[in-house]
Parts: sequence; structure tokens; C-alpha cells
Amino acid sequence: MTDYSEILKQERNAAWRAELRNTVQNKDRINIERVHMTEAEPHERIKSQTCEVNKGLTPDQARREASRCMDCVNPTCIEGCPVSINIPKFVKYIEAGHFLDAAATLKEFSALPAVCGRVCPQEKQCEAKCFYTQKMKKDPVAIGYLERFAADYERESGKIQVPKVEKRNGVKVAAIGSGPASLSFAGDMIKFGYDVTVFEALHEIGGVLKYGIPEFRLPNSIVDVELDNLRQMGVNFEKNFVVGRTASFEDLKELGYKAFFIGSGAGLPNFMNIPGENLNGVMSSNEYLTRVNLMYANQSDSDTPVLRGKCVAVVGGGNTAMDAVRTSKRLGAERSIIIYRRSRDEMPARLEEIKHAEEEGIEFMNLANPIEYLPNAEGRVAKVRLQRMKLGEPDASGRRKPVPIDGDIVEIDIDLAIVAIGVSPNPLIPACLAGLKMSKWGTIEVNEQTMQSSIPEVFAGGDIVRGGATVILAMGDGRRAAASMHDYLKNRYNL
Amino acid sequence: MNKIVEKQRLSELVFKFVVEAPMIAKSRKPGNFVILRVGTKGERIPLTIVDSDLENGTITLIVQNVGASSGKLCALETGDYITDLVGPLGKATHIHKPGTILAMGGGVGIAPLYPIVEAFKKAGNRVITVLAARNKDLLILEKEMREYSDEVIIMTDDGSYGRKGLITDGAEEIIKREKVDECIAIGPAIMMKFAALLTKKYNIPTQVSLNTIMVDGTGMCGACRVTVNGETKFTCVDGPEFNAHQIDFDEMLQRLRAYKNEEDQARKK
Amino acid sequence: MINLKTRFFGLELKNPLIVASSSLTADADKIKAFADNGAGAIVLKSVFEEEIINEYNQIGESKSASHFDEFMDYFDYKIRDQVLASYGRLIKAAKEVSKAPVVASINCVSAGDWLQFASQVQDAGADAIELNLFVMPFDPTRKAEDTRRFYIDTVKEITRRVKIPVAVKISSYFSDLAAICHELDGEKLAGITMFNRFTSPDIDIEKEKVIEAGTLSSENEYLLPLRWVGILSPRLKCPIAASTGVHEAKHVIKMLLAGASAVQMASVFYKKGPAYIGEILKGLEAWMDKKGYESIGDFKGRLSLTKAANPALYERAQYISSFGGYAGS
Repeated sequence: MTDYSEILKQERNAAWRAELRNTVQNKDRINIERVHMTEAEPHERIKSQTCEVNKGLTPDQARREASRCMDCVNPTCIEGCPVSINIPKFVKYIEAGHFLDAAATLKEFSALPAVCGRVCPQEKQCEAKCFYTQKMKKDPVAIGYLERFAADYERESGKIQVPKVEKRNGVKVAAIGSGPASLSFAGDMIKFGYDVTVFEALHEIGGVLKYGIPEFRLPNSIVDVELDNLRQMGVNFEKNFVVGRTASFEDLKELGYKAFFIGSGAGLPNFMNIPGENLNGVMSSNEYLTRVNLMYANQSDSDTPVLRGKCVAVVGGGNTAMDAVRTSKRLGAERSIIIYRRSRDEMPARLEEIKHAEEEGIEFMNLANPIEYLPNAEGRVAKVRLQRMKLGEPDASGRRKPVPIDGDIVEIDIDLAIVAIGVSPNPLIPACLAGLKMSKWGTIEVNEQTMQSSIPEVFAGGDIVRGGATVILAMGDGRRAAASMHDYLKNRYNL
Repeated sequence: MNKIVEKQRLSELVFKFVVEAPMIAKSRKPGNFVILRVGTKGERIPLTIVDSDLENGTITLIVQNVGASSGKLCALETGDYITDLVGPLGKATHIHKPGTILAMGGGVGIAPLYPIVEAFKKAGNRVITVLAARNKDLLILEKEMREYSDEVIIMTDDGSYGRKGLITDGAEEIIKREKVDECIAIGPAIMMKFAALLTKKYNIPTQVSLNTIMVDGTGMCGACRVTVNGETKFTCVDGPEFNAHQIDFDEMLQRLRAYKNEEDQARKK
Repeated sequence: MINLKTRFFGLELKNPLIVASSSLTADADKIKAFADNGAGAIVLKSVFEEEIINEYNQIGESKSASHFDEFMDYFDYKIRDQVLASYGRLIKAAKEVSKAPVVASINCVSAGDWLQFASQVQDAGADAIELNLFVMPFDPTRKAEDTRRFYIDTVKEITRRVKIPVAVKISSYFSDLAAICHELDGEKLAGITMFNRFTSPDIDIEKEKVIEAGTLSSENEYLLPLRWVGILSPRLKCPIAASTGVHEAKHVIKMLLAGASAVQMASVFYKKGPAYIGEILKGLEAWMDKKGYESIGDFKGRLSLTKAANPALYERAQYISSFGGYAGS
């Protein structure tokens, strides 16, 4: 890290940066109000699954917002970033009007800045550490909006820089799963000169970016541009391929693959195991979102059906729950209700998602927890019984533990329930690898620095290692794994 | 994209497809299934792998036209392409040598039963097979089944072929006349339910292969969940075969109806 | 021929000795030993909410906070599933080795918590369920009414959900104990066991620390359940089992005379082992033989509140007579 702080110091002392700081005085910078993101109007946007809510900043808005950044001597924002993006540098490039340079800076650290700018929980990461938040109790620089701006600008300008790729070294490596962890792994390995193939079980590439996050948050077209970039750099994608089933790891080794990165994700739905959970009309958020986001079941020309409800209850308080409940609204629900056992302030979802959900008319039933689903005569869910909760002492995560209020049970009429209480690592791939050391919760155990598993040629990252985490963490893992796998292979094969 | 190299009509609504899928042909075992899609707006549907040809790199699928998605597949011809095909999925059948196997296949369930019968026979068991269909025209794979069965009994609802009666009538006669060590029953869910009730009476260990609704087929969504021995299991990764006497068939039957309204509306389109 | 049969947990037990829920009933080998030595029934170690909480805290500490909020949010459900799955395996293992009925014990914190669990426990083959209901009223905002509702609602929910018999084990911390028992009695219970025993705090005056007092019951603790068995047994429809301080055959006999249908014992087995069951049964039979009783029913409840010659002793709380009254009287 000391090398990095040296670099940051040197860059900050560059002439253009010093000049830029002098153009506006700090006391004027801090008087600028944080930019307001233009958003699609709630009544309109709930009619469409694909209408992106945040419209993005204009170049003028971006430059103005970037000028709020005071280019701190000690940029604490970087500490908040899981992959230590050089935030001051890209923000200052934006202020200076060098948007493509800003995008290039982002790409040194993050494989998918257009994605992260949209889905990172900045309020818990970079923006939480911004000087404005920490020392002045004011709104932080809108680092997320700026990241998105730079990435979008580059994409829309048509001048996407395809990074330099080393000469091919003839060594084949495989990535399993095509979500953010594998994609960033692939992006680095291809640059190092490896022959990279990404294997995906589904018929679409992108993992949770496609099937999980709805298009009103992250348009599929954005993901596709990133995938095209990878293809242009030479990454191969194999769809409809379940490693371990379609071909075994041994088969792949026979085909010449020397090392593997497992990024197969946390695609195993968690249920509460309460009575009635197997009734028709009660499903996991994975099923619901996959039907809509992957299979386009909400569209009339798609063959895949999806159950629509007039009164939809979504259990959970994270981003997945927000995605599911807002999708249900877009699918025509009269009432879309979040049922969460803790308070509103303790919901782990991104603040922006909660705000957008409220604007869209989502109802929030906090301090309530389902204990049973009741059917109608046809076996379809018709009611949910909820236990009302109150907040007790804090638990290990530091949040106050929800405690049932004895005897306080309410029933509400619903016709669709989505269980969005979290996901677990999908056991399919690990089950095919004898000798792979796993935790008792189904995650693959790896060396935290190198992401190497108990099998030397097998590395892993993302949700399959962390349980359910974030896109940016998955990407960080993919990059770290690429760096260590490169070291491992360099030594083994004298590259 | 997987090419169809052969198409054959087995009965009014049932078709056999031989499809190029060299990697699946190599990795598949009896009991495995594939998930496929026809068209970019197609629905993902599961189909058991009936047979495979390693030399030619093909797999055989048998499908009954019962709705929009199966209809699209049945409308394809030799030389056409299946848009997406993935497999082999599901746990393979546990093939062993208990002695005498009673195999029960109802309707299009005879197709997934075939590779299991073949494998049990090759493992050295005595195999008695009961096949059932509504009528003679709907009976499939008789010749193929005879090749790997010591005896084949055929039951039809209307008596137009074999004997008149239900599959469970034919099966019970065999159970009464000789010792059966294990039973495999595959067919419509209601048939499997009653087959299970029958064999439970006689304490015969029984496996069935469930045909639940599926979306991804890799354990990701839970659409295919069933209750087995009081626990929730996913048909696509824990099954598709389960101990028949532990399955909550009533719940399974109810869950099969989950999209009935939506399917009816699609048919009207 | 002396017949020791009695009815509790909705089952006919071959004798009134029930091995209570403890760490001694946590694995199949020990359970087998108790069953082989003649136990009338065995209550498995309780599934505790605490186990789940501890596991959750361990994981919470090993992972950093904010990124895992969504992941950790409902992780207690996953932990519960694992804990319950291993409890289901314990039930199955116990059923395989025990000739005596095997009773699952659930430690309830709230009515809604254990609904699904009750069905799973039934599916795993438990012969009955004992609901361990206790609330230590140290929370100043918690009223008696809250506790009462907790007890009644939990019992209602679980009896609605399972077909196997459901019994409860209660604490004595009630100002309206008789009323609570009466209300529980209306819920078709297969038995009420009085009482639960709590670990007690003690103080080490040398180290000046609060410590845990010894975990085993001492002899005189039997007096508390004895009183209440005597008072309540004639008034309740459902059978009562006495627990705490039952260490010897004489204690068993006292409880039966007071009206209990069975007793639950744990502490004494830590010192004396499962073979001690045989000794107690011998002692019980010897006394019955001496008295000419041929079955438990012959003497059960003879000295309860309504039957005893001097029942007032059950209800008296003060020592007035033994200290010769007040100075001025």
C-alpha cells in the first residue's frame, strides 16, 4: 500500500492536478450542492421493466459535481473502495473535461465501471469515507454517479479503448460461471496472454448481472457491451455448459486447460422453511427474477410464464428484495409490499433502491416476519400470517435483534409471495471436484490473498467464496485470482 | 445450437429426435436429463435423455406435444436447430444388482424408463416391464423395451392392445406371483403416486422419476422443489429420482398445476 | 405382580421414571443405556435458541460488517436449518436404539419460531414433543399477561400443527401459577411437567466474580414441585410430572402420592449413571410391596390437596406455629 500512496502523492503533484486545484477555491467548492440525478418519473417508469430509473449526468453536471472534490492530500475515499480505485484521479479528469482519460483510469482497477457505478453501495463504501461525509457532515461527492458517467461516456462515444493484450503464451485457462468475478478474471488473464474460455451453465452470459439485477437498474445492453469488449480481446464464451457435468474437470484438463477459476456464484435460493412455503404462488426471488430478467416472461411473446399477483408480498430487506418488489409493481400489482423483520433504517438495500421503491408506491411493512402461508381452495397462496416484532439487543452484526411480540400475529391477504431472504453458494460445481475444501456453509475455502483453493490449479472468487456479497467484491476477487494464477502458471510453465 | 439429425413420429403426439450433442453423449448416464429451448423467446423445458450414440456424438430425446413449448419442438424437422441445449443434469440412476426389477412405464414415461431398464438389465438383473398407454396407438418403444426385459406386459385403458386395465393391475399380478426386489415407476405424476401406494403395501423399495416444473435445471431457482421425507429437495439436482414412498405426491401434484391458468391463456393465443 | 405402568406424554409408559432433557440424552449411546436400564421414557436434550445464536455470533464476528449485511441478514434461518437437521438425525438414531419412547424437547422463545420444526420433529419419528417454556421475568417491561399469552399461543400453535402428543415443561415463576395451569389444561396437553430448573448465579468472594452455581440439583429442591403437584393434580385433567430434586425412590414415591403420574430425573444420573434406574425401580417396588399396592393407580394422589388428611400444609406459606407465634400472643 505504501507504493500506492507514493503513486497517489506523485500523481497529485502533477502539474495539471495542481493547476486544477487552483482554478477554484475550496471554500467555493464546498458551497456547491450535490448534484441531483435525473430520474424517470415514477408513474411512468413502473409501466416498464426496461426503463432505467437513473438517467445519468450530463457533461456539465458531471464537471460541476467533480469540482466539489477537493483532491485531498489524504484521499480517504480510496479506503472505502473494495478495489482501491484511484478515485481522485478519475474525478479530476472529469472536472478537467478529459472524460475518456477518466474512463481509462477506472478500467485500470475495475473491469465493469458502468456496472459498479450503478450497483455499488457507495453510501457504505467510497462515499461514506469522503471528506464531506466524514468531517463536514455534508453530502459526499457523488462518486458513483461520476463513475457511471465516465463509463457511459466512453461507451456512447464509440471510442472504447480495447486494452493492450500480450502475445499469446499458449496456455489455456478456464473460468466457470460468467458473472462479475469470472468476467474480471477473464479480462485480466486475456491481457496477460492466456487462452481464456468462460463456461456458463445458462443460455445467456453475465450471471447475476443478467438474471438477477433488473434492467430498470442495470440495462442488459450495458452488460453486453462489456461482454463484447471481452470477446474482442479474445475471450471465448461457452454457453449451455455445466462444468463438472457436460464435461468433467478431468475432461477439460485433457483438452489442455491448465488452471481453473470458479466463479459459479451463490445461486441457491434460501427458504424460511415455514408452513405453506411450497404452496403455488410462493417462490424464491431467484425464480421470479430469472423468469422476468432472463426469460422475459413479462413480455407477451415469451413462452415462459410468470405468476402475476394483485397483492404481492416480498420477504426480505436487501437489494434482491427491492428488485423483486419493484418488478412485481411493473408486472401490474395493485399492492406490492416489503415484509422485513427489522426496521426501515436497518434494511441492507442500497438507499437509492429504497428511495426509488418508495416513490414507486411500494409499501413497507417493517417489524413483521412471516410464520405461515395459507392457501385458497385451489392450493394457491391466499394469506400470510405475520409475527410482529420489536427490536431487542444488538446481535453479532451490530444491528438490533428482532424479537417477536408475543401474541401479536396479523394476517394479510396476498396472492403471490416472493422469498428474498438471501442466497447460498450453489453446490453443483464443488460437488464435482473431489478434494476441494469447503466450509460447512458451502463456500469454497481459499487463501484470502491469492484466492487459491486447496487444489493448486483451482482458484475461486465472488459469491462462491464469500456467500452472498457484492459485484465489486466479486470483481476484486477475480482480479486477485488472475494475478496469483498468473504467478502460479508462470512458474509452472516457464512463461 | 444443436442440430437435429433425425426425427421420427412414434404416435400422434409423441416424437423422437436424435440431436447432435457430442459432449452430452459422452457424459450422460441413465436417469440424466437435458434442458432445452426452441427459439430465442423459448421456454426452458426438461427432457430425459433416452439414449446416446458415442460414435456419432448424438443423444435421443422423446417428447410429447402437450403445450406451446413442446409444440415448438415437435414442429422442428430434421436439419433444424434446437436453440439451446444443456446437460447432462440431475443425479444418475443408482444402477445395482438387487435381483428382480419391476419396471413400470406409463404413456410418454416409457421414454425415460428405457435407459434405466437397459442399464438394470446390463447389470445382470431380471427385469419385468409393465408398459401402459391409453390405447395401442399411444404405446411407444415396445420393441426397444423387449430387447432389455425378460418379460413385457402391456396394459391399455381400452384393451386395444395387450390387456385391458391399469398399469397397477398388471404390476400387482407380478408382485403377487414372484419376489420383486426393486421397482422403478415413471409416468404421469398421478400414476407414480398410485404405483408408490401399491409397492408400499408390499414393502418393495421403489424409485420414481419426477416431472416437476423447472426453469434453470441447475438448482438455482427452487421451482422444482418437492417434499421428500419431510425435507425440501430440488428435483433438478437432488433428483429427478427419489424414494417413492417418501414423496409428498399430493403437494407435488398441486405444484404441477401452478401455471395452469397461464398455460391455458397461452394456448388460446 | 406389581404393575408400574403409568400414563404421560399421551403414551402408556412402563414405569413413571422419565429421563429428563440434559446433556446425558444428547447422543444415541447414552440414550440406549438409559433405555436398556429400564427408563419409562427419554426426553432428548433440548434444541436451544442459544445454539443458534452462538453460531450466528461466531460467523458475524468472523466477517466484516457492511458488505455482508444482506448475506447475514437471515443467516439465522440457515443455522436453524442445520441445527434442526442434526436434531432430526438424533431423533432417528435414538429411535433405532431405544425401546423406551423418545420425546423431542423444544426450547421455545416465541410462538411462531418453531412451527415448522414441530412438523419436522414429528416426521423424524419423535413419539411426543415436550415444549420447554420458560420466561425469566427479569425484564421490567414484560407483564404477566405477555408471558401468559406466550405460553397459551405457543401451545395452541404447536398442538394445531402436529398429531403426536404435546406436553409442556413450565417454570414456577408465576404469580398466577394455578390459573396458568388451568388455562393450559384446556389445550389438550399430554402432560405438564413442573418445574424447569434454571442455572443460578453465585458469587466467588475471593475472586469477586459472578460465577455459575453448580448445575446439579440438590435434594431439598424437590419440595417446590412437591407442593404444586399436591395442589394442582386434583384440579387438572392432564397428567403431571414432577421435576427437580428427585434423586431417590422415596422422592418418586412422594411425588406419586402427591398426585404426579411420573417424574423426570437428570442430576442424579450424572453421579450414579443409567444403572441407577434399576435401583430406584427396586426401591419403588419394595415400598409398594410393603404397602400392599399392586399398581401406581392404587396410591397415586392419595395425599394430594383434596385427599390428604391435612391438606392445609400444602397451602401454608408461613412458619408461625414452629416458632411459637408472636411474643405478645
